[in-house]
Amino acid sequence: MTTTAPPYRVTPARVLRSEWHKLWTLRSTWINLAATAALTLAMGIGVSAAYDGSGGGGMDTVVFVLLGTQFATITLAVLGILATAGEYSTGQIRATMTAVPRRLPVLWSKAAVLAAAAFPLCLWTNLLTFPLAQAFLGDTDQSASLGDPDVLRGLAGNAAGLTLLTVLALCLGAVTRSVPLAIGAYIGLLMILPEVLAMLPYAFVDDAVDHFPAQALQTLTATDTASPGTALIALALWAAAALAAAATTLRRRDV
Amino acid sequence: MITAQDLTKRYGDRTVVTDLSFTVRPGTVTGFLGPNGAGKSTTMRMILGLDAPTRGHATVGGRAYAAHPAPLTEVGALLEARSVHPGRTAHHHLRALALTHGIPKSRVEHVLGLTGLTDVANRRVKGFSLGMGQRLGIAAALLGDPATVILDEPVNGLDPEGVRWIRTLLKSLAAEGRTVLISSHLMSETALTADHLVIIGRGRLLADTTVADFVRHSGTGTVKVVTPDATALVRQLAAPGVTITTDAPGSLTVQGADAEHIGRTAAAHGIPLFELTPSTASLEEAFMDLTHDTVEYPTALEGAAA
Repeated sequence: MTTTAPPYRVTPARVLRSEWHKLWTLRSTWINLAATAALTLAMGIGVSAAYDGSGGGGMDTVVFVLLGTQFATITLAVLGILATAGEYSTGQIRATMTAVPRRLPVLWSKAAVLAAAAFPLCLWTNLLTFPLAQAFLGDTDQSASLGDPDVLRGLAGNAAGLTLLTVLALCLGAVTRSVPLAIGAYIGLLMILPEVLAMLPYAFVDDAVDHFPAQALQTLTATDTASPGTALIALALWAAAALAAAATTLRRRDV
Repeated sequence: MITAQDLTKRYGDRTVVTDLSFTVRPGTVTGFLGPNGAGKSTTMRMILGLDAPTRGHATVGGRAYAAHPAPLTEVGALLEARSVHPGRTAHHHLRALALTHGIPKSRVEHVLGLTGLTDVANRRVKGFSLGMGQRLGIAAALLGDPATVILDEPVNGLDPEGVRWIRTLLKSLAAEGRTVLISSHLMSETALTADHLVIIGRGRLLADTTVADFVRHSGTGTVKVVTPDATALVRQLAAPGVTITTDAPGSLTVQGADAEHIGRTAAAHGIPLFELTPSTASLEEAFMDLTHDTVEYPTALEGAAA
């Protein structure tokens, strides 16, 4: 190939590669993901080692072993929010959008890259945490093995749910363009809003709350759920709606 | 080639840029001048598609910036302040931008070398001085070997050596046939680099002219002459288009003749000269006269004098 007129042009695959590069060239990404995995492992092993065989109160085994993923719902969300809102606080967004002025490929790429990082990490962490925790649970009511019905589905479902929550958080960052605001909105949606709504005396509200992100994640994780598919769809719809809102904001507003 | 056509930008009820039309041609350095808050940065952001104009449009190379398949090869831009994540190294920042276009790693190394950042390429931007940050911004602007270069206040934070480097760089970019637009709020600095001027105030076009024309029409380009034989010199210099005023005995202000001509004339007639000073400071004054009424935040002193 000659060097005349190099075939430079922006393509979706190249934007994806750029965002992949951006994710891994920040120290905070490595710290965040290491902390996410470590907290899940440590909590799972810790609560299992301390478990005395009673008082588990009928908690689902996978939910019990993956108690540490409660932290992951926060740490991974922060990673997602930093990927979008963080670019506005640092000014990086101007460089990003000057390189890709069509804007939307950046959003799709960020979501894809975050998902590609979060899902395998959560899956492998869960697959590692479960047997390690079970080593302490042999004679208790929480005893189970990877081969038991729905255990693998629960572990994988949890990883998928966490991944969708990460995408949801990323979109909240893109809409608010502020790290603290996005974290606030995320915690409000996950932890506070369902509590408040559950107090309303209407049955349909209770049904709706079951499909809120945190509740759907819980359903997706447990082995004894009737409809994990519905929970996955609910989470996917939350993520899709958030992506649509983020895309609209990105297209309409000035950078 | 940059074309702005009736560009207007309103934020709420505040109009920052009003019906701004101008053309920036290739092969020359065009200075984009105006006091702080005149709308320079907003105009540049509209050219780059970061801000959508309320009305009007801007094109680069005949198309809207976002419509180019490889925008970084069309326009390289340095915008106000930093557009970099401080946690990333200079190298990785440029590499991430390069990847969007399929620009090779060798080009990243090249622009790092060009801007003198090779030694700090693997340091995180967090620790960069203002000048180093500015150089990184310029490296990013040159990454795609662009046909048009837009730099917002490029000499900000640079040391004198850096300022000279920028001047040489801009002139060589223009000499290669590129379109170069630099914004500044300093006339004197811009006049040293630019050939053409687009001057705005309060978002409106005040002048679209060459530096030479601006100098000629603004009554600047005067030369101060001190001589014991003022009468003789005035007689010898007298010509159409030459104006000579006296503010003190033996001290003349000559307009319409340059220092060389005055010096040679004096020498030819044996008239001693004690001082022969071309006035450049007045270029800044002419600019201030032009933009005076449009200054966003007049100082108390000006207010009191008015």
